[in-house]
Amino acid sequence: MPGKLFVRRRDGRVEVRLNDAGRSVVREAFAHVAAAERDPDHDWHLSMNAPINPSKDDDDPLSALARQNEIATNSELSIMTLNEQFLNDAEAWAWLSTLQVALRSLAVVNGILSDEKLDSCEHDLLQEIRTIQQLLFELAACF
Amino acid sequence: MTSLKRLRLSSTESDVKSDVETNATVVTQRPWNVIVWNDPVTPMTVVVVVFKRIFGYSANKCTHLMLTVHHEGRAVVWSGQRERAESYCVKLQVAGLQATVEQDT
Repeated sequence: MPGKLFVRRRDGRVEVRLNDAGRSVVREAFAHVAAAERDPDHDWHLSMNAPINPSKDDDDPLSALARQNEIATNSELSIMTLNEQFLNDAEAWAWLSTLQVALRSLAVVNGILSDEKLDSCEHDLLQEIRTIQQLLFELAACF
Repeated sequence: MTSLKRLRLSSTESDVKSDVETNATVVTQRPWNVIVWNDPVTPMTVVVVVFKRIFGYSANKCTHLMLTVHHEGRAVVWSGQRERAESYCVKLQVAGLQATVEQDT
């Protein structure tokens, strides 16, 4: 049975036990989120900027700005700590948030909005989604 | 040192009267709800952890809300003042959940 990918230690830090392949998956996810936040033409940009109040044509600019800043901060912090073996609580939270943003963006841009769509999506995409879900599942267990 | 005698720390009769007079306006303001929507990819444990982190709810309440989202497609996770609702909505979206605000009907 494979060991845990993330372990919360007694001193509060989260130990990252990803191998090179695991780090590569995480690196790609973080890079996509960071790029999508800056680039309005990125495939993921729209999915990361869903309306806060759907009954209005435009969101409150301050709310939209707050979201933009926080997503960017999380993805940048995640990228900066990509090769660390130990993460503090804030860094681990940034990893979890950025991975989750990546997972949802991946699903939205591929039209996966129902369980049926998920079950019928192509094999490579499903594998990618399952891998990120596994990372999230194990990281969430540290909180 | 500030003299306590110079500060008004308790309500006077006129304050109470004023509150009563404006009460009708307050009552008609409907609260704003923060809604979290279901999606087919987010792990359940992530939803629970995000609720716990953002709202500080108990594990039981977080699990109950997560299951409501899962079974009913959406759940009201917080209600109150509009600015706070939007702030919580932003935090949920930043954490990767699908969230919106709407005024209570």
